[in-house]
Amino acid sequence: MIAALGLVLGIVAGLFLEPTVPTWLQPYLPIAVVAALDAVFGGLRALLDGIFDDRVFVVSFVANVLVAALIVYLGDQLGVGSQLSTGVVVVLGIRIFSNAASIRRHLFSA
Amino acid sequence: MLLLTSLVEDSLDDGYARAAARRAAGEPPARHGRVVLVVGLVAVGLLLTTAAVETRQRADTVAEARDALTAEIEGRSAANDRVERALDRARARAARERRQQLRATDEGAAVERKLTRLETVTGAGAVTGPGFVLRLDDAPTDPSGADVDPRTDQSDDGRVSDRDLQTLVNEVWASGAEAVAVNGQRLTALSAIRSAGEAILVDFRPLSPPYEVTAVGADDMRATFVGGFGGSYLAVLRDYGIDYAVTDEEDLSLPASAAVTVRYAVSPRQMPQDSDDSSDSEQNRESTP
Repeated sequence: MIAALGLVLGIVAGLFLEPTVPTWLQPYLPIAVVAALDAVFGGLRALLDGIFDDRVFVVSFVANVLVAALIVYLGDQLGVGSQLSTGVVVVLGIRIFSNAASIRRHLFSA
Repeated sequence: MLLLTSLVEDSLDDGYARAAARRAAGEPPARHGRVVLVVGLVAVGLLLTTAAVETRQRADTVAEARDALTAEIEGRSAANDRVERALDRARARAARERRQQLRATDEGAAVERKLTRLETVTGAGAVTGPGFVLRLDDAPTDPSGADVDPRTDQSDDGRVSDRDLQTLVNEVWASGAEAVAVNGQRLTALSAIRSAGEAILVDFRPLSPPYEVTAVGADDMRATFVGGFGGSYLAVLRDYGIDYAVTDEEDLSLPASAAVTVRYAVSPRQMPQDSDDSSDSEQNRESTP
């Protein structure tokens, strides 16, 4: 309950504060979103598996976002930024899909 | 394959299983667990919303910039058209007044006749008179032909090329034309007939078929043209399916060329025949604004 409240609070804060993202950070925003979604789906699955852990969730979220951004940053510096972005999106996308499939099995037992 | 398999099968963070194992082993749960979770979820919500807002704002900004640019282009084009019309009017008025002034004296009348002749030859002035019109059109397309471009369903063979138009216009000049226009574009001695892609350009303005070569000149001009190389060239073009027609016109009117620009001008006081020190005074003028 309190967790959902936190999520809603974050969304409302984002809507009303409209924080401006500095230009140099903007390329990493989409990647950060995908990484965050991966952490969220992982957390949901863990919740349904009955092994959810607050700390693991938060650490995985922060680490995912940072590592994804770091990889893309590194790629940009090496001149392969778009390829590495694609790689990150593919890997995280596969994880999101398989976690979503697991969640689906839990919820609909199908 | 190992990488892909592990990617698909171990999609859940190991951390969850380990934390569960620790809990099962009787370790106390981490302190401030709830607080950490709420802070993390606030961060997740903030990130997702920021990304959404950012994306929408960027789309708006792009659309705004495009609209602003479009509006500016349209505004400038309209202003350009206005200025061009004003220029045309001013030119016509200047020409009229110049004529009136010149006609006042005998010497002036002679200059005016010379001026008219020069304007006709150079394309700087509009011309009316008898002549002929040569109409050319691309061959009707035969989509089943072997040499058809599959993208455009058109054959290159039957299309009037810039080379055709160049040859024909040169022949029209050679037949004694005094003034020639292509699709209403007056040709001067410096006009260029070229092509860009599939379009033919006259003085860098694209033409669209059918092409109309209008020529004003002496009575025997048409006979000379049709009887000479121009006529045989047209006959060759007809073999490729390019249709043409040459018709006499009693009263043709060709506009002045828009491409005539002043490239060299001398003020009457500095005419070369005036004196030798004219060049000196010119230099002095340049050095002292």
